[in-house]
Amino acid sequence: MKLFEYQAKALMKEYGIPVPPSLFARNEREALDAASKIGYPVAVKAQVLAGGRGKAGGISIVRDEGELFRETSRILSLTISGERPTGVLVEKAVPHQKEYYISITLDRGERSFAVIASPEGGIDVESLTKKIVRNIQVEGIDRETAREVALFLSESRGEAEKIETIIMKLERMQREKECELAEINPMCMADGEFIALDAKISIDDNALFRHPEFSKLHPEDEFEGEASRQGFAFVRLEGNIAVVGNGAGLVLSTLDLVSDAGGSPACFLDLGGGAQRERVESAIMLVNRLPNAERILVNIFGGITRTTDVAEGILSVSKRVNLKPVYARISGAEEEEARKILEGTDVKLYSTATDAVRAVVSGE
Amino acid sequence: MIIPESEEPIIVQGITGRYGSLHTRLMLQYGTKIAAGVTPGKGGMNVEGVPVYNTVREAVEKSGSRSSVLFVPAPNFLSAAKEAIDSGIKLLVAITEHIPIRDTLTILDIARKKGASVIGPNTPGLIVPSRKLKLGIMPASSFSPGDIAIFSRSGTLMYEVAYQLTSSGFGQSLALGIGGDPINCTTLQECIELVRNDQTTKAVVLVGEIGGDAEERTASYISETRFEKPVVAYIAGRHAPKEKKMGHAGAIIYGSYGTAESKIKALEDAGALVAKTPSEIPSLVSRAIG
Repeated sequence: MKLFEYQAKALMKEYGIPVPPSLFARNEREALDAASKIGYPVAVKAQVLAGGRGKAGGISIVRDEGELFRETSRILSLTISGERPTGVLVEKAVPHQKEYYISITLDRGERSFAVIASPEGGIDVESLTKKIVRNIQVEGIDRETAREVALFLSESRGEAEKIETIIMKLERMQREKECELAEINPMCMADGEFIALDAKISIDDNALFRHPEFSKLHPEDEFEGEASRQGFAFVRLEGNIAVVGNGAGLVLSTLDLVSDAGGSPACFLDLGGGAQRERVESAIMLVNRLPNAERILVNIFGGITRTTDVAEGILSVSKRVNLKPVYARISGAEEEEARKILEGTDVKLYSTATDAVRAVVSGE
Repeated sequence: MIIPESEEPIIVQGITGRYGSLHTRLMLQYGTKIAAGVTPGKGGMNVEGVPVYNTVREAVEKSGSRSSVLFVPAPNFLSAAKEAIDSGIKLLVAITEHIPIRDTLTILDIARKKGASVIGPNTPGLIVPSRKLKLGIMPASSFSPGDIAIFSRSGTLMYEVAYQLTSSGFGQSLALGIGGDPINCTTLQECIELVRNDQTTKAVVLVGEIGGDAEERTASYISETRFEKPVVAYIAGRHAPKEKKMGHAGAIIYGSYGTAESKIKALEDAGALVAKTPSEIPSLVSRAIG
């Protein structure tokens, strides 16, 4: 789960990492109040989870109330990578000389967390040309590693000591709050002090049960919210063919088949292993309500999931609601019985994924 | 990693739960010797005729097992897995999904220090059809004895690929799912080592997906260590959007890291035949083994 910048900064502050004075504002009025408390000039920053905020015009430095009002209105009306800002962060503008990059993130290849740092702040981690990467043992970072990384950023002993302290605090936060990513980019130096100008934090979704403080931090998309309550893996997409299947890999490969055939998926929905009739019903009802879905493709490989349960689930929904056209590939154990259940309905049945995909894409 | 022989006794942790008991029955039906189960507080019960103990230590002492299949809920995973390794389990198959990354890293660290192997988490397990050995949740009907090894990041795709291979007359020497999480306690490279000197295995099918760099690393490993058996691969997620977890916690692209293109290119450069769809795999296997 990603945090908004204002939430990430609050967490960093709690761990003693210096951040500029700032207040979250939902509208122009709150922004004016915030700026009067903080003092001009201030930065107005769109609060979105997507990246590329700066390039999209989501950050502005303003000197007075007039500018603040205009810029807040403008920023709140932006759509950044498909996302509307949930508000703005009004933050004391910090004149500074130098910017750095520091993050702690999962290194999947080395199977450990790693600290990454660079003296080139404010750019994307992939674009860093000069950087240091050090893996962290499972118990936590040691002083020597933090010092080595700090000295890579500054040769001045005094400065390096301050950076080392920030790294130690960032790592403690990352470990205790189970962050998949804890990033300060940029960290700046102003009057000899190091300050986190921007902050990104993503919490390990699977660890949320140990961290109730993060529950319901922000609203979800209506459909994603419902899918998550029902325990489906669900991703909303922009096309017109809803893709439902059992197993993440199978659904992923079905998205590829649909796209290769010239179609465009409306969603990814994984029923999970061993789904029973009720789950299949809920899933079909959910995708049937998706406004952008015109047709539904069901790809089931029966094993632990019983193909007859899937067929009965589809049948039951088709009797109760006005069901969008369903194209189903059902194969595996008991597929003959499953087919019989759906005989005489409008559901179109196929024995291979390729055939089902060809049909759903052409809409025939 | 030591894969159990046929008839070797196996433990199931979380045996009294819904999935634990269902799969205990299915593993027994397949011919795997589930000799003991563990659920704290349920000692003295039996599930499908298998005696249940309160602790792994007791189950190990009574059954002589070195391998455990673990079905406990995610919040209990860390303590259950630690208990297993501390009690002398050398192969732990972690079926449980939604385990925090930190817990997986902790278990990986403990397993390394104690010389144990962990498969998963979030794995369908492993199956050796010729030994009637099924340590996991895969549907037995897809698999048949033969000479193709399948290693997969996805469960259902592994079943689908096995089914298509079986239907085309290619049985399997071994099929193993490494799991859909960002951290796999057993890597694809370690899987390659399982079959490098195995006389039965004639070819390897790798089923990968977007996210991470396991396939790229495996491709370099195959080249650098001169793995001689033919490799056929398939990568799911060529059309997946970026920064979205596609069902598996590990199936996510960040920027250019974890894309299908990068994996396909690396595997092709290493000499693998890469299928565009799962249904192409049997014909590529046929071509690879001539």
